[in-house]
Amino acid sequence: MGKPADLLQGTLDLLILRTLALEPKHGWAIAKRIEQASEDALQITQGALYPALHRLEQQGWIRAAWRKTETGRDAKFYELTRAGRTQLRKELAQWERLSNAVGLVIRMEEG
Amino acid sequence: MRLWNILRLRLRTLARRERVEEELDRELRFHLEQQAEENLVRGMPPGEARRAALRKFGGYTQIQEECRDMRRTNYIENFWRDLRYAARMLGGNPGFTAIIVLTLALSIGANSAIFSVIDGVLLRPLPYPHANQLARVFFHSSTYAKFPLNPFDFRDFRERLTSFESLAGYTRGDRQLSGSGRPERFLGFQITAGFFHTLGLDPARGREFTRNEETEGNGRSVILSDRLWRSRFAADPTILGRKITLDAEPYTVVGVMPPGTQHPGNEYHGVAQGETVDVWTPFTLRGDPNQRGSHYLEVIGRMKPGVAAPQAQAELNAVIAQVRRLHPDALEGWSALVFPLYQEIVGPSERLLLVLLGAVGLVLLIACANAANLLLARATVRRREIAVRAALGAGRSRLVRQMLTESLLIAGIGALLGLAIAAAGVRVLVALLPADFPRAAAIHVNAAVFAFTALIALATGLLFGLAPALQAVRADLQDSLRDGGRGSTSGGTQLRLRNALLVGEVSLACILLIGAGLMLRSFVNLLRTDPGFRPDHLLTATVALPDKTYKPVEMLHFWTRLSANLNSVAGIRAAGIGTDLPWTGWDDNIGGLTIEGKKPPAHQEFHARYHVASPDYFRAMGIPLVRGRFFTDADTMKAPLAMMINQAMARRYWPGEDAVGKRITFEDHPKETDWMTIVGVVGDVKDRPESPEAQNSMWWPVEQSPVYVGQMSVAVRGNSDAAALTGDLRAAVHQLDPTLAVADVRPMNDIADANVSTPRFALFLVALFAGLALTLAAIGIYGVISYSVNQRTHEFGLRMALGADSGDVLRLVLRQGVRLALLGVALGLVGALALARVLWNLLYRVSVADPATFLTVPLVAIAVALLACYLPARRATSVDPAHALRAE
Repeated sequence: MGKPADLLQGTLDLLILRTLALEPKHGWAIAKRIEQASEDALQITQGALYPALHRLEQQGWIRAAWRKTETGRDAKFYELTRAGRTQLRKELAQWERLSNAVGLVIRMEEG
Repeated sequence: MRLWNILRLRLRTLARRERVEEELDRELRFHLEQQAEENLVRGMPPGEARRAALRKFGGYTQIQEECRDMRRTNYIENFWRDLRYAARMLGGNPGFTAIIVLTLALSIGANSAIFSVIDGVLLRPLPYPHANQLARVFFHSSTYAKFPLNPFDFRDFRERLTSFESLAGYTRGDRQLSGSGRPERFLGFQITAGFFHTLGLDPARGREFTRNEETEGNGRSVILSDRLWRSRFAADPTILGRKITLDAEPYTVVGVMPPGTQHPGNEYHGVAQGETVDVWTPFTLRGDPNQRGSHYLEVIGRMKPGVAAPQAQAELNAVIAQVRRLHPDALEGWSALVFPLYQEIVGPSERLLLVLLGAVGLVLLIACANAANLLLARATVRRREIAVRAALGAGRSRLVRQMLTESLLIAGIGALLGLAIAAAGVRVLVALLPADFPRAAAIHVNAAVFAFTALIALATGLLFGLAPALQAVRADLQDSLRDGGRGSTSGGTQLRLRNALLVGEVSLACILLIGAGLMLRSFVNLLRTDPGFRPDHLLTATVALPDKTYKPVEMLHFWTRLSANLNSVAGIRAAGIGTDLPWTGWDDNIGGLTIEGKKPPAHQEFHARYHVASPDYFRAMGIPLVRGRFFTDADTMKAPLAMMINQAMARRYWPGEDAVGKRITFEDHPKETDWMTIVGVVGDVKDRPESPEAQNSMWWPVEQSPVYVGQMSVAVRGNSDAAALTGDLRAAVHQLDPTLAVADVRPMNDIADANVSTPRFALFLVALFAGLALTLAAIGIYGVISYSVNQRTHEFGLRMALGADSGDVLRLVLRQGVRLALLGVALGLVGALALARVLWNLLYRVSVADPATFLTVPLVAIAVALLACYLPARRATSVDPAHALRAE
């Protein structure tokens, strides 16, 4: 397993919000989902994940509730709030702009 | 909605902390279990699966702490926790806490109290609109720095003013009010038209005086203070236009001033600035415009916006030049002086107050150094505790915050206590203030002082909290854990810092001690200086004769009879009557004297203060006769004109000659009968006790007085208690005229006392601060040495085991303390030499480098240092070698 790419500052927030856009998930599931979706290119450390979740909750983008998992255990599930959806749209748009811009610069030599 | 959610969450975090903590723990544990399960699924044995999960998870407590940080409210929570922790720490060591809190409380309290005085006196604007435009106008000559004007000089200025919006004159004119109730004298001033307008004040009722009322015969109008209107006229709303009786003459009330009307202060027959005046009457311009020798009108002006005092002054000097072209003899040697009112009122006390602020600031610095020193000592003891907390995952910033919380808690308690001390202290200070201190009424603890105290407390907390906190955190963790803060490895920087603080404390205390020493010497000199009169057993009072009921010649007779009556009373050894009393504000001046056979130096004129005195005036005052004779009952209207002068005048104008028998006149071309012959020379009395030298003075006998004698001071000398003569004095006056008020009855000792009250006040405070500083420094020395003795117990034990006796150990410890104290004293002396210059005009006949003070203070400081070292040193000698060595 290669060394996972360091996440850009703020990118983790975007990934968490994006992951939660589909359905509520607990912390473990969020980390797993991001790893799977990125084909293990992105490894989320717990030391980054949980503080980020608490920060997002404090900012009001997500909210938490205790629910049963499929295996019947108690877990803290996070879901997007309405404000969180708006924030996600904003951050996605920003990310698109940024990656487009970076792409343009990178492809410049080939063109 | 979102904001509400956020708020709800934070409240929950704060209010249901256990629940939130527990949830965090459950959430993280769930993650761990999931990881372990996954590891199991991958085929790891159960124990290994768990361990691997933990490894992957990383620092459990760090993640917890970070999550807490994310919840923000952490700060508040931590603060509370730190505060509780700090309170526990401080409570567990009450002696230590009490010393720090007390030193801070005392110094913060003293600072706030002094700052209250400074705020009230210096910082608050004067109680007049646009007060910065107000300025006093004086005359200035090579002899007199600041001098009142002659009314006609004032008129010339007023007619030609351009850089002043308005100019007004005022001079003392107390009035006796009779009618309903007993006759009573009130402080009054005669004022020119537009006096209140110049100050920016309006009467609450009626109007102020017009130019018309300045002409002779039109001046029977009066303006009352709010206080007088209420106390004597029951706040009568129809008072305007009413006639009241002042000095037995009818005056029409034309105005009443609002409450809070403040007199701008004056020097000639001075009345302090404030709500001190009750009666204002019109100033009458009378006399001969070509006779301008008499200077008694004080002048105040409002400069046009944007005009500065020097510009206004240049303009007035141009006016003087114009006048001199018209009257070549007039105004010889005089120039105009324009002085901002604020400086005139506050200037004399400004330096004193700033010196006091500096002194009390030094005390605060010492207190901070002391507190820092004590905290440092304790921080060393707590190195192990801090190291343990750091090892358990407390971040550096977290530890620094904890230490700072402790310091701020100490400073906070100190500030609260200090504020209480300040509130009490201000009351004491105001009570102690000299009676004539400007603006004393404006002094009280207020919001600005609260703010100032809070600032000091905060700055102090940060100042002395930061050093130990950083020190503690920087200390090597491993090291601290290993030797647990025991042994002799106390960090070198630590020791140096603490020694530096101690040396600083001692040097600051020395500076204060030297300041106090100089002021003490100055005060003793002031008290030891012969005043030139004897204030003991002497009672004084003022009696005024209304112009209406007494013709000038009747006034002269009245005084002669009063003098005779008083001198026949059994308990009275001598009774004198005169226009003036010593040290009560200087007296009338006259220039342009002609001295027979002498010519004044170029651009100068012969001048002297002039007074009137009854035959026994000097005997009653205790002023000695140096040459010739006193006045006698034979110096009547019909006798040849006689005159007495003081030694200062005799020395100046007849150096090396006998002044007795010499002749003086006011006339430029005298007839034979115009000459006055000097019959006696008396000892000097200075204007004020601290004046550098006496001014020229001369006296006329009552009956020959060319000046108004409607108001005189009476002085009676008894055999013991002066106040006991009050009854005799009143009886003697009322025997001649029962309608007269006997005012300002007070022992001469009170007057003399009031004249040294400012230096006494300053001495008291500086001595108090110096004592406080010395005590604090002693506590500091004690703390440092006693700590060092504890640290070196092992070493002392070893030394004694190797044959050192207790004397050797005692000397060892004392040497350590005294070396630091000596360094502090040396620095203090250098600092004091540099700083003492600020005291120069507060000192009386003491050099700012007074050798006695500069020799005594180091001895005192070293003695106190020795004493502070001795107690811990004694402890060092009682170390049991066997015990000390085993303990290691």
